[in-house]
Amino acid sequence: MSSETIIEFRDVWKKYSKQQVLNNSLREELVAFITGKRRRDDLSEGEFWALRDISFAVGNGECIGLHGPNGSGKSTILKLISRVTYPTRGNITVSGRVAPLIELGAGMHLDLTGMENIYMNGTILGLSIRELKYKVDEIIEFSDLKDFINVPVKKYSSGMYLRLAFSIAVHSPAEIFLFDEVLAVGDEDFQGQCLSKIRALLNKGKTMIVVSHDMEKLGQICTRLLGVTVGVMSAD
Amino acid sequence: MLMIRRLYDYKDLLLVFIWRELLIRYKQTLIGVLWAVLQPLSLMGLFTFIFGIVLNTAHKDYPYVLFFYAGVLPWTFFSGAANFAVTSLSGNFNLITKIYFPREIIPLSGVAINLIDYVVGFIVYLLLMAFYRIPLTWNFLWIVPLICLLVLYTTSVSLLLAALNVYYRDVKMASAFLMLFLFFATPVIYSIDTVDNRWKLLLFLNPLTFIVESMRRVTIEGRGVVPWQMALETAGVLLLYVLVYRVFTRIERAFADVI
Repeated sequence: MSSETIIEFRDVWKKYSKQQVLNNSLREELVAFITGKRRRDDLSEGEFWALRDISFAVGNGECIGLHGPNGSGKSTILKLISRVTYPTRGNITVSGRVAPLIELGAGMHLDLTGMENIYMNGTILGLSIRELKYKVDEIIEFSDLKDFINVPVKKYSSGMYLRLAFSIAVHSPAEIFLFDEVLAVGDEDFQGQCLSKIRALLNKGKTMIVVSHDMEKLGQICTRLLGVTVGVMSAD
Repeated sequence: MLMIRRLYDYKDLLLVFIWRELLIRYKQTLIGVLWAVLQPLSLMGLFTFIFGIVLNTAHKDYPYVLFFYAGVLPWTFFSGAANFAVTSLSGNFNLITKIYFPREIIPLSGVAINLIDYVVGFIVYLLLMAFYRIPLTWNFLWIVPLICLLVLYTTSVSLLLAALNVYYRDVKMASAFLMLFLFFATPVIYSIDTVDNRWKLLLFLNPLTFIVESMRRVTIEGRGVVPWQMALETAGVLLLYVLVYRVFTRIERAFADVI
């Protein structure tokens, strides 16, 4: 395994607000925009730290398992890696394309057919239309939905839906894959399929971050485990 | 320009978004893309009936049908795109909170599908002009920069409304009212020539006033645009666009946290 660093967190802090209407946040952004000053990075009322002083590095080709209780900040870490959100303090460097499988089927539209959703969801995950045209047969093959591919997704069973979503996601050409609790969905068969696909991706040298409660499953595939408790990280 | 460089890597996603909206829009509809023409045509029919027949007010010395259609067409484009934009980001929160892509892609796809409708509607406009035997002049070519200006202004307003609605859902409520207000502030059902000079300047603060009036001038009347107006309005719209886009890319980073 190469030790080249592909993801690095340096002293990362992330605050969130509990309030419903976030008028402060917009005002802060605008003030920062006009005056050119940095945004406030301390806590004010109604805010809390979701992550406190997180630092870690992931090497190319590693598979990291993140575990910890609900609300400890695991998903926040994934969102920071995929640039959905940004840190309040600290720095993050990610070198490579990221395929976030944070929620399977986030980009699906129920009125569209399976085939149309492959293009929809695929481009959202960063594939180009050309790559998709080339991979579409492979995706359908893996999802095992050949007979249903021209049926609107709203008529799918939840298992079929998940199979399609997973199949699209793992065919992304990204270097970094983020899995959030995807090991916990679907039946035994499907989980087994997921695991073997994850192993296949690892063999191709992809980097992976897997979030799960299931320490046993994490142990089966991951090279290293990291625990997160109330926003603080502990390495095993 | 600013936006094009940022969007280059994501051009396929923008295309797919446009294609998706078109698919969704015309799925399970009977007449499909004919809606693009039916909407401005029926508005034109309504205005012609009310102002030409019921109230019998004369604006110009050319057919009412052309007069209203020339105004309704850009208005339908603007309001269609802006209405789409308002809820475009907040309605797609499941995407915004999970996957990164330049957020302006969603409101922009709304501008794009309305532009497609506009082009279809414009073909009907050309047919109407031929039907009423309006002579084509070189000044007709002014329509190209005018459409660019319209698209740029519509894009700015769409981005602004979409971003603000992420923070305050009040924007959605206010925008319904704002659209009605803007409709009357734009010379769709009247001509700026009938307006007292005192109010003209105020009305020209709305770029749509200049755009709609000039579109009638260059197509039906065969006259050129007023150069100083064109220069001022273009500068104003460009400034608005740059400002809105800067703010948008700045606050975009926080969308997932506040949506």
